[in-house]
Amino acid sequence: MTVIYTPEKIIKERIKQAEDILQEIPVKNCFITGSFLHKQNYKDIDVFVITRTKKKIEVKKRKVKIAKIDFNDLYSLFYHSVSKNCVSKNILPQRQLKVTLADYWHVINEAVPSVLNKGTKISKEIRSLILYTEYFKTGQVLDTTQLDQKINQFKDHHKILEYVEKEIPLIICKNRKRSYLKRFFYTQAGHYKELISYRAQKFLYDLTHLIARGFVDG
Amino acid sequence: MVDPEQFKSKIRELIYQDHEIEFLGKNFDKIVGLLTDIKTEKIYQWIQKVLEEEIQPILIGSKRLYKDWTINQLLIFRYPLNVNNTEYRIMFVKIKNSFYVEFHLGDHNYYDSVRKQLDLKKTQH
Repeated sequence: MTVIYTPEKIIKERIKQAEDILQEIPVKNCFITGSFLHKQNYKDIDVFVITRTKKKIEVKKRKVKIAKIDFNDLYSLFYHSVSKNCVSKNILPQRQLKVTLADYWHVINEAVPSVLNKGTKISKEIRSLILYTEYFKTGQVLDTTQLDQKINQFKDHHKILEYVEKEIPLIICKNRKRSYLKRFFYTQAGHYKELISYRAQKFLYDLTHLIARGFVDG
Repeated sequence: MVDPEQFKSKIRELIYQDHEIEFLGKNFDKIVGLLTDIKTEKIYQWIQKVLEEEIQPILIGSKRLYKDWTINQLLIFRYPLNVNNTEYRIMFVKIKNSFYVEFHLGDHNYYDSVRKQLDLKKTQH
């Protein structure tokens, strides 16, 4: 039984092709999302399989990229995003979204070096950064199409860093609910301070200061 | 086809330090054997850029222990590569203001297991 989530965003001819691919996969919960469903020209066919198996799953079609999702990931922002707009073999399991500010800071901490290293290339870390930022800013979980549209608004990595610098202090100060957050950012600043010869750590150091100043200024 | 021992020697030569770096990873030699000369050259160039502080590291503010160090003492440099349609990752680990200690090379499962040990969140594909 194929289930189509947000069918209005999917190219009709691709639905049958997606179904054929999913039939080849010997797992109950699997789905296809990404550019294959909504763009005429696509690079890969992103297939996600929800399974505990460690066995390698393969299909004949060359462009298919299979990634496994663990059952613990069903609570994640990532799963909620990729499963929003997809063709699935069965009804997908639903779990309540669980996202914390600490998770968000982990994403920022990894994405900033990635932005500076990649230049114009968009990495997975940058996608996560924008997904999390939009979630904390608007409360909305972007699907893969919306995320692509948002990413395409940034002309280069400078624009991404400007966005980070503008949005993150506001988001974190708005969401501050526990006093330890202030202490947390002062501690983080201390770690970055020793490494400010690196552009990424200098940027993160300045960002923690902006956030900490937000606590002081209210 | 690249010889794994030559690959390791070249890296030792590039980083030129007293401390012996560890080469780690499931199927390390096998993966190196799959690299083309162009891909290998790109890895050496990337290492050179790491040494020149052009590549930005990840620093994790965790006090947990990882072998002989606390995680917040370590800098992690990542390099993704695709060989025959399989994704691999290099993780090059340095002690803050000191030696390079580990050079990991492995597939996505190996990468996730090292990330876990280094207190990095699980990757999201």
